[in-house]
Order: sequence, then structure tokens, then C-alpha cells
Amino acid sequence: QSAAIKISHQFPGGTATEGDFRDRLCRQFAAEVEKRTKGGLKFEIYPGSSLMKTNAQFSSMRKGALDMSLVPLSYAGGEMPEVNIGLMPGLVTSYEQGYGWKNAEVGRELNRLLLEKGIVVVSWIWQAGGVASRTIPIVEPEDAKGLKIRGGSREMDLILKAAGAAVVSLPSNEIYAAMQTGAMDAALTSSTSLISFRLEEVSKSLTTGRGKAYWFMFEPLMMSKAVFDKLTKEQQAIIMAVGGEMEALARKSAQMDDSLVAAVYQKAGAKVVDLSDATVKKWQAIARTTAWKDYAERNANCANLLKLAEKTL
Amino acid sequence: MSELTMGLMYGAATLVVMFSGMPIAFALGVVAVSFMYFFMPSSSLDTVTQNVYEEMASITLLSIPLFILKGAAIGKSPAGKDLYSAIHTWMHKVPGGLGIANVFACALFAAMAGSSPATCSAIGSAGIPEMRRRGYSPGFAAGIIAAGGTLGILLPPSITMILYAVAAEQSLGRLFLAGIGPGVLLVGLFSGYAVYRARKEYRMAHAAFLNDGTTSAYLEVEHFTLAQKVEMLPRVLPFIVLLLGVMIALYGGYATPSETAGLGALLALVLIAIVYGIWKPRDLTPILSSTIKESSMLLLIIGMSLLYSYVMSYLHISQSAAQWVVAMALSKWVLLAVILLMVVVFGFFLPPVSIILMTAPIILPPLKAAGFDLIWFGVVMTVVMEMGLIHPPVGLNIFVIKNIAPDIPLKDVIWGVMPFVGLMFVAVILLCIFPGIATSLPEMLMGAK
Amino acid sequence: MSHGFDIGPAKGPAVPDNPVVAKLSRALDAFNHGLLMFSMAALILTALVLTYSVVSRYFFKLPTDWQDEASVFMLVGVTFFCCAYVQSLRGHIGIEALAPLLSPRVNAARMMFVDVLSLLFCLFFSWKSWTLFHEAFVEGQTTSSTFAPPLWIPYGMMAFGMSLLVLQIAMQVLVRVTNDRSAP
Ligand code: NA
Ligand code: NA
Repeated sequence: QSAAIKISHQFPGGTATEGDFRDRLCRQFAAEVEKRTKGGLKFEIYPGSSLMKTNAQFSSMRKGALDMSLVPLSYAGGEMPEVNIGLMPGLVTSYEQGYGWKNAEVGRELNRLLLEKGIVVVSWIWQAGGVASRTIPIVEPEDAKGLKIRGGSREMDLILKAAGAAVVSLPSNEIYAAMQTGAMDAALTSSTSLISFRLEEVSKSLTTGRGKAYWFMFEPLMMSKAVFDKLTKEQQAIIMAVGGEMEALARKSAQMDDSLVAAVYQKAGAKVVDLSDATVKKWQAIARTTAWKDYAERNANCANLLKLAEKTL
Repeated sequence: MSELTMGLMYGAATLVVMFSGMPIAFALGVVAVSFMYFFMPSSSLDTVTQNVYEEMASITLLSIPLFILKGAAIGKSPAGKDLYSAIHTWMHKVPGGLGIANVFACALFAAMAGSSPATCSAIGSAGIPEMRRRGYSPGFAAGIIAAGGTLGILLPPSITMILYAVAAEQSLGRLFLAGIGPGVLLVGLFSGYAVYRARKEYRMAHAAFLNDGTTSAYLEVEHFTLAQKVEMLPRVLPFIVLLLGVMIALYGGYATPSETAGLGALLALVLIAIVYGIWKPRDLTPILSSTIKESSMLLLIIGMSLLYSYVMSYLHISQSAAQWVVAMALSKWVLLAVILLMVVVFGFFLPPVSIILMTAPIILPPLKAAGFDLIWFGVVMTVVMEMGLIHPPVGLNIFVIKNIAPDIPLKDVIWGVMPFVGLMFVAVILLCIFPGIATSLPEMLMGAK
Repeated sequence: MSHGFDIGPAKGPAVPDNPVVAKLSRALDAFNHGLLMFSMAALILTALVLTYSVVSRYFFKLPTDWQDEASVFMLVGVTFFCCAYVQSLRGHIGIEALAPLLSPRVNAARMMFVDVLSLLFCLFFSWKSWTLFHEAFVEGQTTSSTFAPPLWIPYGMMAFGMSLLVLQIAMQVLVRVTNDRSAP
């Protein structure tokens, strides 16, 4: 029986200085909090879903069965439709804008809704993504027409469908094989995953998230409110402070991965393309009438969140 | 309480409950839930069912019933017997040809079914009586079928490989391809041994005849006319269609692995409907009910094993065990040997499905750290688990043989399978020296990893 | 030890000695049989759905995004709807290695212990499944995919199947208790 705070995530495990930045962030967070609480709080990191299934994390935190998790928030979209805003195509188009949410109305409202569900957001982490393709680069919406693409979320699937793509669904460990055999032509995911899935070996082109992107994902470090409330005021303050400090690391690392993915694909001989402002606007226009509309119609909270988020555009 | 004490208690509790004879699924659940109750926050008990559901709600895992259905459609229709007869007709002239025919029939069937007992019973029910009629010693006949049946989990599709691919986060398509080379190697080794043993038994029968006139079926000459041989050919055709259809769908980029499972099952049902006229609900009932019986049993074990490994992970038992293994700083190959030995010991009592589910969280991290290719290891582990299927005390395939041929004494069966356990061991050694046996096919077809 | 792949025709459970228990047991068997038939159809339907998604994507260029989840739901249903049927045949495998070493009396006690403990576990599991079902139903939870079907469907099937399993094991315990012990 260990009193350590357990942090679970689905990303590859490493050390505090090497490996996937999301794992590094958890480890550095743990070390810093441990130091500042003088060992009052101890942590155990469970990388690679080694504690529980990815989809069970959010719900377990709500019930107090899991202490902390770093997970793409939109994964909980089935349980809490409001959180789909964390992977809404074209709603966030730059890191500046994404990180601005924390202190904007939209961030405060999202925070409130999550608290209501028993979740405390500790670190606000945003990450850009791109498209790996085994054929032409998918830049303009027209490029997607007729291709078999894995969007990876309901909202991405909606804009891909509207662009005329054939949306395919398959588990993430099959992405590589499906790209290899041609069961799938292209996949949208974060820059970090584009690297860790080694898709450059089976891709001919890459659309990056460097600079501008319509694929931005919110994957915060979160804590169960039930667990948070049991801590002393001082410990709570340290956790929130360290969490906030980690955001700089997250932002820098995510942007490094955006550039690194381009270098990796270039080296593998793939054609690497960046998105222009005008292209992002085109995808945004599609999203507005499909994914955004679909989201706003879920409930009043969703509509309100979307309205507040649009203010940050 | 230290993690070591906790781990020992967990292991002891598991042993006691398992050996009480409680169904594996419930035993895993009981051990996990009691440890949750005593050593974990009470809120963990509220997440039990959702965790089990999340484990099961994976389309990769749920393709298992469909792979079983495909095997049952062939195995429970005359298709299995026809496949066997056709191969026999063509191979009987080769010395030891009947033995080879049985190995080949097992391999072909294995390439369509996902599990070993299915392969064993489908080919064995025709093969064992035929081999014994032709004078093969009962132990030898039983050994060939028991060993040939184990190919069911090595040649794709394979239920254990599905579980391994999910646990190790490897591509199922790649893992399936990696099983083919070693499968062919084992077919070669088994066939070679079958020829050697059949000739030895033939010589003994011949000597006995010269000595005191004892006759043996070994000495009779069987003959098939060319017309008979040609007539048997079309019976193999459905298998070729099924095999190629599924392979093309998967590796030609037409279907995902789970879609391939559905496609294969449907294709098998359509083939037995066309070729054998099996389509009426009454005819399909035995096929479907045996499929459901096996699937429900397996999936319940899979679901409950999540709870078991969740508790092991939460109490830091698997991590400590893995760290402990790493800290021993064993050389790469000693580490492998220790881990495989553990799999062998588990194989004394547990079916492959449970072995993978219970050991993966502990053995995969050290292996990964030691730099082993996890696709290659998946294949090696599968061959080692094949040994567990036929070695006593609990060898699933031995029980199947006892059902098909109850009059063969258990002692004969066990002595009959032992040489094959040895051959599998040889295959493991060869795989370690020449990893390309497993890895070259996926690299050739799917690119370097 | 059962190996999960029956060779002969499936043998039904033995008829209990007590007439009332026998009647109840027959009713439960009939119900399980009905669910088995239903699950057989679902199994074939799943194979059809997955094949259809390949065919429609390649020949009609119409991709489906619901086939995986529809299949998952159906197969989860099959698994849980039939676990009581499998239990009625004692088809959930366990390690019976000790059975031949023990005396008949000790074995009888052992099997009783196994059944009662299994019953308690399944009772706990079905209780927690119903709470999960209730939570998903009230909160309107869905899966997080594009298709987004409600989660109370699979949770409900799980809860129902596990409850039926509880009934089945309880029945088997009842049969053990009421059976004529002097009979061979
Ligand atoms: Na197989
Ligand atoms: Na064994």
C-alpha cells in the first residue's frame, strides 16, 4: 500500500530528460513537487497505459480511483460532451492562442465545468499535429477528396467527410500496417505521435503543424478533485504552481516536435509541406459548418464554450 | 508493507484460488477484487466494471470469436476430413508419408483456425484412426496430432498472437506474418521426425515378420489410382480459396485485421454452404454454439485479467518485478532464457491465453529495455507456449487426444509427444541463432521495422 | 479440465433430484437456450457487417464508420448473454489438477467452495455493472467516436448477462444442496 500519487498516461515511458515530452513533463513535475514539499508528496508514474486503459483514466479520476493523468481531454467526449472542444478543428490555430485560453473566459468556464465533474486542471498543455500521407500531401481540403483518412476523433472525421474523404476507423496500433498495405492513405495526429508511430517509413508526404495549424489538441495534466481536496492548502498551492511552470516546457517541447517531425520525414525522403494562413482558414470554414455546429448543438454549455472560444480567434 | 511481500502474497493467493479449481476468469477476478478491497482506495471498487469493459471493447480482441467461427466452420464440417484425405491420397507413397500428410493437414488447418485444440480435434479425429489402421504405434500417432495441432497458435490467424499484439502494442499484421517462417520450420522438423520414426517402426515390423511371421499393417501396400487422386483435388480447393482470400484482403490493403476476421468467417460459412450444403440453422447450430462457448469463456478471461493486472500495476508489483529483473543486469540471452523458463513453468498449468495476459506486464518492459525485437519475441514466446500445450501435467492438446482416442493410454500419449517437445526446443534455439526465420517475411512484405 | 472446444455433442447439465429445483433449472436452461440462438444470429450478423464495410469501401467507395463499434457491441452482447449458458455446461475452464488427488468428500467441499466464491464475485460484478449502466444512462454517456452510440447499451448487456450468470451459479449451488447425497 503506497501513499504515492499515481500519474497515469498513455505515452511511451522514458526518463526526466529523455523520451516523449509528455512523459518527461510528468516526471519533472513529480520531482519538483516532491522537492518543494520536502518529500511530503511522492509520485509514481505509469507510462504507456500500464496502470489502466486510456479511456478509463478520466472516469477513474472523477471517481477518485486515479490521482492524476495527462490525457487528451477530448477522449472523454463520450462521458462529457463539453470536452470535445479540446480537439476542435480550426478553433485553435496557434500556440499563442491555445495557451491564452487558461486566463481567458473560455478557459475559466472549461475549468469550472471540469471542477463540477471532479477534475482539477493542473497544467494547460496544447499540441499541434499534422497529416502523414502515403500519396499526395493533404494541404487544401480538395486534396483529401476520395482518400482513405483516419481522423482519429469525431470532430476531425466530420471535416474530413465534408472535404470528401473516406473516413476510416481503426485502432492506433494498426495505423502503421494500414498505411503500409494501403488500407489507409493518410492519418491525422500530433507531431509527437507522427514520430513515435514511425509513419515516415510508409509515407510519401507530410503536412506539418509548424507555424499555423488547424489540428490543435488540448492534453492537460489533471488531478482528481477528491484527491486534491485531501491535500493541505500548501501542497495544493505547490501542485498548481509547479503545474503552471511546466507549461513552458510543454510549449517548447511541442514546438520542437513540430520541427523535428518535419526533419524526420524529410530525411526519410517524404515531401514536407507547411500550412498557410489562407489554407487554415479554408479548413476552419468547413469546420464552422460541420464540427463546430455539431458541437454547439450538443447542449447549452457546449454552445457557450464555443462562443467564448471564438472570442480568442 | 513492501512491494516484495505484497507480490508474494498476490502470487500465493493466485495459486490457492487457481488450484481450488475455480474457473480462471472468476479466480482472476476474485483475487483482484479482494486485494482492491484490502489494499486500495475503496473508490477502485467502483471502477471495476468500467475497466473490464474498456479492456474488452477493443475490435482487435473481439475479432477472436470470428477467428474461432472460421475454424469451427471448417473443423465441424466434413471439410477437415476431406482436406486430410486429399493430402493423404497424394502423399502415401512417400516413406512416412502418412505422418507427413497429418502434419501438413494440421498446418493447413492451423492457417485457418485461431486455436490449437480446434486444429487437433479437426485433423486428429480422421488422422489418428487412419494412422493406427496403417500400423503406426498409438503414441506416435497421438504425438503427431498433438504437436501438429499446436501450429494453430503459430500460423496466422492466432488468438494468442492477437492478445500479444495488443499487450505489446505491435502490429497484428506484422506478427501474423512473422509466425509463418517458424511455422514452416516446425512443419519441416515434424515431417522429418515422422519419416525417421515411421521407417524405424517399419523396419521393426519387417524384422518381426521375418522373425516369427507377425504381420503388421505397415507391411501392406496401399494404392490409389490416378483417377482417385485427381478426384480428391477439388476438395482442397475451398481451403486454398479461403486461405488466399483472407491473405489478399489483409495484405493487399483491402481490409483491416478485424474486418479480415469477419470476412474469413463469412467466407468459411459460404464455402461449407456451397460445397457441403451446410446452411440450414439446424446444421449451423453445432458450429455456432461451440464457437460461442469457446469465445465467451476466452473473452471473460481476457476481461477479468485486466482487473488482475490492474491491481498488480497499482500495487507496483509488476513494476517492481520488472525493475528487479532489470537490476539483476543479466546478459541479454540469460534474461531471455529466464523469461522463457518462466513461460514454460506457467505452461505447466495455464493455457496460452492466460499466460500472455498474466505475464505481459512483467516480462515485456525488461525485454524491450534489453533491445529485443518484440515481434520476434512474440513468435519465440508462442513456440514456447506450444510446448506447454503438449507437455504434462496440463497440456490442452493431450486432453483433446484423450477425447478422440480414449483407448490410447496416457503414458503412450506422453511418450509420443515428448520428441516433439524436443523439436520445438530446437526451433526456439534456431530462432535465437537465426532471427530472420521470423522477421524476414514481415520485413520483405511490410518494410523494415 | 475442459479445453473449451467440445468434441462430442454438447452434454446438458444433469437433471437435479429435487422436482422443484429441476423445474426451475429447466426454465433457466430454456432461457439460456433462447439467448444462445439470439447470439448465434448476432455472431453471423457481425461477420456480415465487417464484410459489408470492406465491400462498400472498395466497390461503392462508401466508407462506413460504424462497423467497428457495432461489432464491438454485438460481440460484447454475445459474450455476456452466453456466459450463463457456458456456466451451465461448466465450460469456464479452471485448473482441475488437484481433483484426482483428493477424496470424494474433500472434492465435494472444494467444489461447493468454488461455486459459492464464484457466486459472490459475480454478484459483486453484476451489482457494479448495474451502477455503471445507471450512470451511463442518466448522464447520457456515449462512446467518443463519430458514430457515438450510447454506452448504456453494452453496459446494460454486461449487467444483464452477469446477473443471469449469478442466477445460473445460484441454481448450481441449489442443485448441490438439494441433490440426494446417497445417490451415486
Ligand atoms: Na492459426
Ligand atoms: Na502444459
